[in-house]
Amino acid sequence: MLIELKDTTKIYNQGKPNEVTALSDVSLRIEEQTMICLQGASGSGKSTLLAIMGCVFPPTSGSAAIAGKQLSRMPDRFLTIHRRETIGFIFQQFNLLPRLSVLDNITLPLLPLGISPPERKARARKLMEHLSISHRESFPAGQISGGEMQRVAIARALINNQPIILADEPTAHLDSRLSMEFMQIMADLKKEGKTIIIASHDTLVSEHPAIDKIINIKDGRIHVP
Amino acid sequence: MAMIPKGLEKQLNTLDFALSSLWRRKLKNLGIMMVFSLVIFLLGSFQMLTGALTSSADAVLENTPEITIQKMSAGRQEAIPQTYIKKLNSIYGIRAIIPRVWGYYFDESTLANFTVLALDHNAMPNGSKLNLTLSDGHFPKKTETGTAVLGGSVQDILELGDRRVFSLFRPDLSLKSFQVVGIFSKQTDLLTNDLIVMNVDDARDLFAIPTSHVTDLCVYVANPTEIETIAKKIAGLLPDTRVLTKSQIQKTYQVVFSWRSGFASICLLTALVAFAILAWDKASGLSPEEKREIGILKILGWETGDILAVRFWESTLVSALAFIIGCTAAYIHVAFFDASLLKPVMVGWSVIHPPFKLLPTVTLADLLLIFTFSVLPYLGATVIPAWRCSTVPPDSAIR
Amino acid sequence: MRPSHRLFIFLLLLIFLDGALYLHAKHLGNILKDDRAVQTIAVAGLGLTDLCVATEARYTRHPAVSDPMAPFMDHPGAIEHFPTGSFWQAPANSFIR
Repeated sequence: MLIELKDTTKIYNQGKPNEVTALSDVSLRIEEQTMICLQGASGSGKSTLLAIMGCVFPPTSGSAAIAGKQLSRMPDRFLTIHRRETIGFIFQQFNLLPRLSVLDNITLPLLPLGISPPERKARARKLMEHLSISHRESFPAGQISGGEMQRVAIARALINNQPIILADEPTAHLDSRLSMEFMQIMADLKKEGKTIIIASHDTLVSEHPAIDKIINIKDGRIHVP
Repeated sequence: MAMIPKGLEKQLNTLDFALSSLWRRKLKNLGIMMVFSLVIFLLGSFQMLTGALTSSADAVLENTPEITIQKMSAGRQEAIPQTYIKKLNSIYGIRAIIPRVWGYYFDESTLANFTVLALDHNAMPNGSKLNLTLSDGHFPKKTETGTAVLGGSVQDILELGDRRVFSLFRPDLSLKSFQVVGIFSKQTDLLTNDLIVMNVDDARDLFAIPTSHVTDLCVYVANPTEIETIAKKIAGLLPDTRVLTKSQIQKTYQVVFSWRSGFASICLLTALVAFAILAWDKASGLSPEEKREIGILKILGWETGDILAVRFWESTLVSALAFIIGCTAAYIHVAFFDASLLKPVMVGWSVIHPPFKLLPTVTLADLLLIFTFSVLPYLGATVIPAWRCSTVPPDSAIR
Repeated sequence: MRPSHRLFIFLLLLIFLDGALYLHAKHLGNILKDDRAVQTIAVAGLGLTDLCVATEARYTRHPAVSDPMAPFMDHPGAIEHFPTGSFWQAPANSFIR
């Protein structure tokens, strides 16, 4: 079991007047090589769930095991190390550094790992070729098209060969053709053995044949219609 | 290629990233570095130039007169009566008292100030070797009236060329002419550039000083350890005089160029104001762009320490490079260009410009002083606010 | 070439330059040693007290033997008006009385 949450609860600002319970008693299991669609209105706790599955912070109570490690009470530093080995992120607005070249953006997660420049380049080139963006290698990431940015973001999420990919509203700023293209790449990645979790409202995502399961979040709980 | 250990490779990666992120904002960062180098250059030049002069003074002024007696009246120095010499006869231990006539001659056509000096040099220590300080000629003998030895610049300013005769005005505007019998060597320019040395009688004639008076008295004692005691005795005997000892004269140059002098204070103040502005700019917080970048790096698996290391490298590189470049430029400025940017301030309206041959002194203490006034405030102003980056939560990128 | 290597090369150049300047300083020091021997004779033989750097005012031409209050001598309200006065600090008034 790759992701296993049990009675996971997250409370922000605990003990303060502005206390907010974002997630309460969520339990779910996600197996390897599956593709999950996470749905829920804004404020439903969807982002919080994504953050816990992405090892960004531990739950307030309950357990969360990601790739065989318990997050609860894990110190920040180990959380970071676990995150970079396990999770690849794709963000809504891709979150590339616009002045950095495409190559440098893709290899960004490898710098703190002490990986030498030739190896970084080799790994990135392989991915760029795979995603057909090799011709943009030395372009600043701010000067390429939306579709290309999206591929750069995907390449960055794969560079450390992480088993899990988390995508937060990845198609929100893409037209339907690019959205379909994105889902196709995700489907291919799933075939290669990745586990993919996509938070999205887009029916192009939720109705894609490669999606194994749709999880609905409402008011911090898993909603079963 | 040889294997580089992972830890070092990581440091190199961090350094690479810091360099490339400096380069991405090259206009701003190079600008800061230029201003920064300039400030250090200015401070460094000042310190090296004054240090060079101070150390020259130290090395050269060890044989300055042991005791100098000047008569004071109404807060001014005035001519001292020759009869004072006799009053000192009662003090035991005085080896020689040499009366001197000296003063300034203002040349109205060139606006230059010359120092006219007259004394019986044969009575002075090393007086017999004095001709070694001339590039040609000899010092005026007592019998040679109307002769003079000129400093390098005096000869130039009077436009003598090959001529050997020049004239100076007496106070009543009558002309007194002199025959040049010697020219000081270029080697002594630092001391003798504006000097006109002549016989005592000629100087009296030129300045219209009565034979009963001289300008000051140089006193030499038999036992150098007695200088202070004898000076005190002289001061007691001649209450209307000011008595200067050798050690006081030597001390002058240890304090005459200091950070408290007006020019240096302005330099330092400028530097501090520059850094105050910089610090204010930096301390006012991270820009949204910086915050976004930090959030992204954090969620991609950079630890807070990694991001701080990048910041640290950025500031260190800018300030350390500026420090090295500024100090190197300062040395070159002082050693090869005669400190030509500071010289005008230093010599003011002087018409006679000293042809410096200066060895810039670079001491560890000076470098540390400049370092404390420049690099440390910059590091403080940039690295400490970077702690704020640890307040950017990693999930800011997915919210 | 990676940026850090470029930096190292630049630093190496600076070290090389500074090394050359150090050698220059040594060389200049030797030349000055000869000059200073001659200068010492001039100081002793003529009873000189000061370096000839600024010649515009007596308190900067001969700071060692002129009064610290020299700028005020012309009249009681006279303020410092020579530029060199800002560069040269008045010597400590420590003569023996």
